[in-house]
Amino acid sequence: MTAVATTEATRPRIGSRLLGVIRRSPTFAVGFTIVGSFAVLAILAPLIAPFGAIEAYPFEVLRSPDGKYLFGSDGNGMDVFSRVIYGAQYAFGIAVPAAILMLLIGVPFGLYAGYVGGLTDEILLRIMDVVRSFPSIVLALAVVAATGQSVVNVVLVIGLLDSPIFARIVRSEVLALRSSPFVEAAVAAGNPTWRILFVHLLPNAIRGATALIAVRMAWAVRISATLAFIGVGIQPPTPEWGAMIRQGAEYIISGEWWVATFPGLALVGVVLGFNLLGDGLQDLLDPKRRTAAR
Amino acid sequence: MSSSAPLVTVEGLVKHFPGPRAGQVIHAVNGVSFAMTAGETVGLVGESGSGKSTIGRAVVKLITPTSGKIVFDGQDVSKTSPQAARPLRDRMQIVFQDPYGALNPRMTVGNLIGELLKLHTELDREARAVRVREIADQVRLSAELLTRFPHELSGGQLQRVCIARAIATRPKLIVLDEPTSSLDLSVRAGILELLRDLQRDTGVAMLFISHDLDTVRLVSHRILVLYLGMVVEEGPSAKVFEHPVHPYTQSLLSAHLPPDPDERLARHVLSGEVPSAVRLPSGCPFAPRCPIAMPVCSQARPAMEMPATGHQVACVRVKDGSYRLPDSARRNVGDSVSHARG
Amino acid sequence: MSLLEVENLHTHFITRDLGNRIRVATALNGVSFAVGEGEVVGIVGETGAGKSLTAMSVIGLLPPAAKVVAGTARFAGDDLLAMSPATLNRLRGDQITLIVQSPKTSLDPLKRIGDQLVRIQKAHRAVSDDEARRNAVEMLATVGIPDPEQRARAWPHELSGGMAQRVLIAMALVNGPRLLIADEPTTGLDVTVQAQILDLLMELVQARRLAAMIITHDLGIVAHYCHRMAVMFAGRIVEQGKVADIFKRPAHPYTKALIASTPKQIAARGYAKVGGLPPNLYALPSGCHYRDRCPEAEAACTTEPPLVTVRDGQRALCHVVARGTRVQ
Repeated sequence: MTAVATTEATRPRIGSRLLGVIRRSPTFAVGFTIVGSFAVLAILAPLIAPFGAIEAYPFEVLRSPDGKYLFGSDGNGMDVFSRVIYGAQYAFGIAVPAAILMLLIGVPFGLYAGYVGGLTDEILLRIMDVVRSFPSIVLALAVVAATGQSVVNVVLVIGLLDSPIFARIVRSEVLALRSSPFVEAAVAAGNPTWRILFVHLLPNAIRGATALIAVRMAWAVRISATLAFIGVGIQPPTPEWGAMIRQGAEYIISGEWWVATFPGLALVGVVLGFNLLGDGLQDLLDPKRRTAAR
Repeated sequence: MSSSAPLVTVEGLVKHFPGPRAGQVIHAVNGVSFAMTAGETVGLVGESGSGKSTIGRAVVKLITPTSGKIVFDGQDVSKTSPQAARPLRDRMQIVFQDPYGALNPRMTVGNLIGELLKLHTELDREARAVRVREIADQVRLSAELLTRFPHELSGGQLQRVCIARAIATRPKLIVLDEPTSSLDLSVRAGILELLRDLQRDTGVAMLFISHDLDTVRLVSHRILVLYLGMVVEEGPSAKVFEHPVHPYTQSLLSAHLPPDPDERLARHVLSGEVPSAVRLPSGCPFAPRCPIAMPVCSQARPAMEMPATGHQVACVRVKDGSYRLPDSARRNVGDSVSHARG
Repeated sequence: MSLLEVENLHTHFITRDLGNRIRVATALNGVSFAVGEGEVVGIVGETGAGKSLTAMSVIGLLPPAAKVVAGTARFAGDDLLAMSPATLNRLRGDQITLIVQSPKTSLDPLKRIGDQLVRIQKAHRAVSDDEARRNAVEMLATVGIPDPEQRARAWPHELSGGMAQRVLIAMALVNGPRLLIADEPTTGLDVTVQAQILDLLMELVQARRLAAMIITHDLGIVAHYCHRMAVMFAGRIVEQGKVADIFKRPAHPYTKALIASTPKQIAARGYAKVGGLPPNLYALPSGCHYRDRCPEAEAACTTEPPLVTVRDGQRALCHVVARGTRVQ
C-alpha cells in the first residue's frame, strides 16, 4: 500500500488532479470538453471560419457540402460551416450574460428571503412562483414581442425568467444554514444584516447554484434558439443557430438538408455539453450525492 | 451581591418558543432572576430542557425574551432586538459548544478574529493585523495558524479561535455555552486554564453554562441550578456542591460520576426523565419526580428560601429543614462493582 | 482462557484524496486485550484513538474503507476475523451483542418495539411467535420499562431517550449473549438518566455473568462501572490494568495526563501541562505515538516502546516506564 502511495505522490500534481476529476466524474470531463471546444470555436471564429458570418455569394446558393463549403451553403449563398462557427459566439453571448443576470437577481433575493423568513419570505416566494408559473416560452415570446427583437432583450428576458430558480435554490440552502452556529456567531459578533448575507451566508450557500449555472445556460441557449426559430428572437441573417434552423427548415422538403441539420447538431451539442457539465459539477461539488449514486 | 453595581441584572426572565404543533408553547425559561458583577463567573447547571442555553442567548441578545427585564452595563436591554444590539456587542460576547460549527468555514482564522476588530474598531488593516497577532498570542494560538481555514485546525485550536473572537474587543461579559463539552478531556483542561487566565488578566465576567458538574464547580464562583426553566438552587459554588439542599440538586449531584473509583457516592437515583416543557407541572417543577414531594408542592411554586447554609433554595421543605432525601433512596453502586472486582 | 482475546489487531483506512492518491490512515496499530467471563472492561481514549474501531473490527462491522490488515480476535477460542460473514452473522446479535450511542436511530422506526424484539429472536433461533413475544415482554420488564405488555406495542418515536436506550439494552440481552459491547451507551443522555441506565446495565451484566466491553470517553463511567480498563492512544492500548490501580498509580505518561485533566485533579493540583494536537493517523511518528506530546519523552522514544508489566495485571507501553521498572 505504501509503495503505491509513494509512486502516486511523485506524479505531477496537475496530472493527478485531472485524473482524479475524471475518475470521480467522467460526466464532468465529457461536458467540459464539449463546452470547452465550442468556447474555443466562438473565440477563434474569425481564424477558423473560411468565410465571414454574413458573407454571401448569390451565385452559389444551396450548394451541397463539398471541399469548399464543408457544410454546404444556404439560400443566401452563405457558408453554413462558417455560420455555425460564428453561431457559437451568439450561443455564449446569450448564455453567459443571461446566467450572470440570473445570479445577480436570483441570489440576493434567495439570500434575503431565506435569512429573514416569515412574511417577507412568503411574499418573495409567491412573487417568484408567479414568474415561474407562466410557461416560460410563452412569457418570453410575449415580452420579446412587446419590447423588440434584439439580443439585449433576449438576454434580459431569459435572465429574468430564470432568476427565481436561483433564488429558490439559494433560499433553501440559506434555510438550512440559518440556524447553524456560525450564523448565530456572526450575529453575536455584531455583523450587520448585509454582511451576514454576503460575507457569511453567500460563500456557503452558493454551491447548489454554481452547479445549476451550466444546466440553466443550456436552457438559455435552447430558449434563445426557440425564440429565433419562431421568429420573435434574433433575426436572420444573424448567424444564430435557431434562426439558421428556421431558414433551413423550408429547404428540408426540397432536399437541401444541410442548411438546417448542421446548426441543429451544433445546438444539440452545446446543450448536451452544458447539461453534462452541470450534472458533473453537481457530482463533484456534492460528494454525498456521488456516493449515493454509485 | 458585592458593593459595586452589578454588570448584568436579570429579573423574571421568561422565554416561550412555538411548540412542535400549532398552538403549543414550549416554556423554555419561566421566571429566572439573577445578577452578575464584573469579574465574576456564574455557572448555570441543568439537564436538557432546563433552559440554560436560552438564558445565555437572551443575556447576549441573540433572542428577545417574552417578558422580564435584562439590564446590561447600566442599560435596559430587555426589548433590544438582536440587530439593534449591535452597538453593545463589543461589550458582550458568546462562545458556543461546537467550535467546528461556530466558525465560517470559508474564512481564514486571521479574518475570523479580525472580523470583530473590523466591526467594532476604527483600526486600519495593518493595525488590525498587529492586534490579531496579539490576541492569537493571548489565547496561545500560534501565528502560523492565522492563514489557515477552520477545517485545518483541531477542535481545541478551533475553540481557541472562538475565544479569541470573544475577547478581541475586550468585552465585559462572555457567555460560555458548554465551551468544553465537545472537546477531548486533555484539551478541555487547556481551555479551562486559558479562561481562568483571561479572567484574571482582564476581569471579564463569565456566564458558564454546562451540564458537566465537575467543570462548573471548578470554574464558577457562584452557581444556579436550573430545572425546567426555573432556578431551584443558587449559591456559592462550594456551598451548593458540598451542601446541596434542593432535592433535585441532591439527586443530580449523586447521579454524577466523579472520575475516581475510590469516591463512594450516596445514590439517590431518580425515576423517570425531565418532563416536557410544553405542559409545565403546576407548582414546583420537580414535584412529579421528587421522592419527598408533599401535596402542597404541586399547588404553588415554592418561593426562594434561605436554609442555614446561607444560599437560596426554592423548596418548601427548607423551612422545617426536612429536605434531606431519605436513606431508603440511597444506594451504593460502587459496592457491587468493587465486590466483583475483588 | 478469556472469552474474548484480541491479539495484535491492525486496522487501516484506505482512501483516495482529491488528487486521486491513495492515503492510508493507520487507525489501529497492534491492539491486544482480553475480556473474561463476568468481567467488565472499559476502553477509554480520545477522539480518533480507535476505541469504537476496535470493537467494530472485532465484530466485523467496519465501514467500506476500513480493512483489518493483521491480528486475531478469538471469541471462545474461534477467530472472529477468520470467520465467514455468514458464521459471524450468526454470532452477532446472538452470542455477541452491541449497544450503540444513539438509541433513537438504532431502532427501526417502522416497527413496534415488541416486534423488533421478536424479530431479533427469530433471526437466531427457532422460537414460536408466542414464546418470542413472551420473552420480549419479559425482557422489557427486566430493563425496567413500566407496563411492558402495553409498551411492546409502542413505536420507537414514542419513546424518550432513556426509554429507547432501555429498549436497546433489551434487544441486546434478549438472545442471552455471552459478550456485550456498549459503545458510548449513555452519551447524550442526561446525568440523572445516565445513572439509571448504567445501574441497570451493570445489574444485568452481573446477574447474567456476561463479559462486557464499555467504550467511553468518560473516566467517571470507567471508574465506577468497570473492573479493568484499557487506555487507547493513536490506535494502541498504551496502558491496561485494574481500574483501581490505574487511577491510583497511572504509569504511562498519557494516562497520567488524562487523569490530571479531570476537573477534580485540577482543583486539587492546579493545571498540569497536558493536551496538544490529536495524532495524525496518516503520518504517525515512529516509535511511541505519544512522544510529540509527552513531557517525559527521551531519545529512546523514537524506537518501538516495550510492553512493561508495572504490577500484577497492569501493563504500559512505554520506554520511560521500562527504565523505572525493569522489563519483564
